[in-house]
Amino acid sequence: MTRLLDVGLEQLTVMVYRSGEVAENAIGVSIRGFMNGKDATEAVHELSDILGSMTVDIENKAFELIVKYQPVASDLRIINSYMKIAYDFERYGRYAWDISFTQQKLAKIDKCAVSSDLMQKLIEKVTMMVRKSVEALKQHDAELAKTLADTEEEVDELYFAYLNQLSKMRSQSKCVMCNLLVSRYLERIADHTTYVGEAVVYIATGEKISLR
Amino acid sequence: MKINKNAEETHIAKPVLTGGKMQSIGLSAWFGAKQALKDINLLVKANSVTAIIGPSGCGKSTLIRCFNRMHELVPGSKMAGRVLLDGKDIYGRDVDPVLIRRRVGMVFQKPNPFPTMSIYDNVAAGLKLTGARKGQNLDEIVKRSLEQATLWDEVKSDLEKSGTSISGGQQQRLCIARAIALQPEIILMDEPCSALDPIATAKIEELIVSLKRDYTVVIVTHNMQQAARVSDFTAFLYLGELVEYGDTDGVFENPKNELTEKYITGKFG
Repeated sequence: MTRLLDVGLEQLTVMVYRSGEVAENAIGVSIRGFMNGKDATEAVHELSDILGSMTVDIENKAFELIVKYQPVASDLRIINSYMKIAYDFERYGRYAWDISFTQQKLAKIDKCAVSSDLMQKLIEKVTMMVRKSVEALKQHDAELAKTLADTEEEVDELYFAYLNQLSKMRSQSKCVMCNLLVSRYLERIADHTTYVGEAVVYIATGEKISLR
Repeated sequence: MKINKNAEETHIAKPVLTGGKMQSIGLSAWFGAKQALKDINLLVKANSVTAIIGPSGCGKSTLIRCFNRMHELVPGSKMAGRVLLDGKDIYGRDVDPVLIRRRVGMVFQKPNPFPTMSIYDNVAAGLKLTGARKGQNLDEIVKRSLEQATLWDEVKSDLEKSGTSISGGQQQRLCIARAIALQPEIILMDEPCSALDPIATAKIEELIVSLKRDYTVVIVTHNMQQAARVSDFTAFLYLGELVEYGDTDGVFENPKNELTEKYITGKFG
């Protein structure tokens, strides 16, 4: 039996998955720009704005479903979690734009290469976490979501090691400032992937856990 | 009605939960050959609201009717197991069912004030049956009962008017006042809002929540949101069996049993 609520839930699900894809894309574009010394500010800004609008649409749809159907149990968990996840995806977009904007403002775009191995690893880990968070959401896969906790710890270690490395540098160049800020944004993105992971676990199991 | 004492012994080894105002142990009930309840072990905690939910015919009403020995009034009915009130079996041989029904009051689906009686007399009816005479004490009990039922301010000038002259929602609160007047320990409510509009329903729901300060309330409801709003604990019955029992927030947020999940989310059928 198809419930009236099911139609709305399906629409909401499509919206949230789409938001995840846009968020992942925004981070990909901004990181590629950062690594290749290309100005991606405009493209990422546009994607970030789209994510902001999508979050509003998702919230409106979620409220509509709550008002119309007063959902409970797994329905309520999904709707509540989708609202939170949409916000996290919006934050992905915002940090992606911060990365591009910082690079544009502080660094000579093509002369501030990613030379640190730590930064390289940080980028790889965070990119993987973003991909995993979107995948765990699409599969409602609690086990996959829980693996984000370990990677988040690794990201924190890399971040602090990188801060340590930067603090020992004699030069206070714009490149250093840029890399400092970008590493911070990456670390924050990693945090938000764990929030998405926590929401996925809650959807799938009803368990409220912390992945940090 | 037959009370199967052998069955009682069969269930004696069941674990006895503690801390409850009322408790059913291995409770089963029949209408003729049809079994309506199967081995129900349920604890009703004092000064709380417990909601009984489940699809039509699952045994919700039968269960609460076993809680005040009304089930036995149905010809051909039968029950087995025990129901404890403050630890004492209400089906014990020396227990007077009339006294049990006084301690465990009932409010029904449709408001049913006595149509030929005034508002005052409706509230006083039960007390008069137990020998109370009209006077200052009776007046005080009627006033206090109507106040507790949040009806006093609306009817205090019309106490001599017929109990059926007021609105449906007011009539239901009058019935609650009638139950309260006997100073029961437990109030059973069988879908008390099903015949009421949303405003009257909201008033009854507020009343239910306030009543638990002084009483233990058990409510049967088909309205999931109502169960979620007013109750502290929820029991889900299906085909006469207790499928799930737990604190209401947990049952409605993350039910443990798949049947409960399907029922409360409307995925049955």
